[in-house]
Amino acid sequence: MTHRTITIARDVQFVAKQTAAEVREQFARRGTLVVNLLSSPGSGKTSLLQATARHWQGRHSMAVLVGDIATDRDAQRLTPLVPAVQLTTGGACHLDLALVQRGWDALAADNVEFLFVENVGNLVCPASHDLGEHLRVIVLSVPEGDDKPAKYPKAFRTSQALVINKTDLLPYVPFSVEHATSDARQIQPELEVFSVSALHGTGIESWCSFLEQQRRRLLAAQQASQIQQ
Amino acid sequence: MHEFSLVRSLLEQVERIVTEQGGRSAVDVRVEIGPLSGVEPLLVKEAFGQLSGETTLIIDEVPLTARCHSCAREFELKDFRFACPHCSSRETSIVRGDTFRLMSVTVDISDDVAAARTSDELLESVSTS
Repeated sequence: MTHRTITIARDVQFVAKQTAAEVREQFARRGTLVVNLLSSPGSGKTSLLQATARHWQGRHSMAVLVGDIATDRDAQRLTPLVPAVQLTTGGACHLDLALVQRGWDALAADNVEFLFVENVGNLVCPASHDLGEHLRVIVLSVPEGDDKPAKYPKAFRTSQALVINKTDLLPYVPFSVEHATSDARQIQPELEVFSVSALHGTGIESWCSFLEQQRRRLLAAQQASQIQQ
Repeated sequence: MHEFSLVRSLLEQVERIVTEQGGRSAVDVRVEIGPLSGVEPLLVKEAFGQLSGETTLIIDEVPLTARCHSCAREFELKDFRFACPHCSSRETSIVRGDTFRLMSVTVDISDDVAAARTSDELLESVSTS
């Protein structure tokens, strides 16, 4: 009997990551900024998207792919405002690229400036799955406690922005925005932090300006690469 | 828990390697798991045991290591604090420990297939048992 050892030394998700990079590039060519929203269940991702849609109404186009284990309740909340497709994972704890692509096809939308992918409420598994997004954002709500960043380092390390939501509850719960921010920046120094109350619309303007600026940057980079070619 | 889907993908890759080598089966599979890989070694082990059959899984757990952009030193991270312990710079990047990697596969190849292959096709080592 002969045994042969083959050296691979490659990420198990190598192919998935490569495909995600291609998807990212395709969306950039379309002028669509893709934002992957990560959080625990109940942090207010859907409320944040409703507030974002209201803020942009008539000015910017957005669409949402919303992931849940079951039900289309979140999509129902969003469709009066923006095109939205529910992705149900049937028990799986995270969205994958194939589901997102199916959702995008089902949307059949043109000229989407911002595509939000609302991930399944979970700060563990979604952090390991690249969905072809340009921006990964964590939504952390005040009642969850300010010790979340240290508990879920991968989610924070791989994100570019943090939205601290439900700030209207700050007077009632022990949560320090400063503590959460400094903890998160120990893990990811470049993290942009926004304090918002999606319910009251507080802080939504600067969150939206940040997204607009990110999209302008994407478009500029895209133009520069076209000129080079 | 997403370890099952990742282990399934790992096993598909292993199977492809076995086929490419003209082998019969994989004897062992070596993987590397870091603290920021997003997978739990115990759960990977469990999923692998349930899905793979006879193949042995070897897990190398590696520490999270980063390199400082300012002083160019490498350091192991404790508590996921990314600032450089030598010069306090926050400009650091991970060099190891943030992935779940397939390191190697030992394939059981029948003797006639082994004989037909030239030695330069062998990527690393051949052991006869």
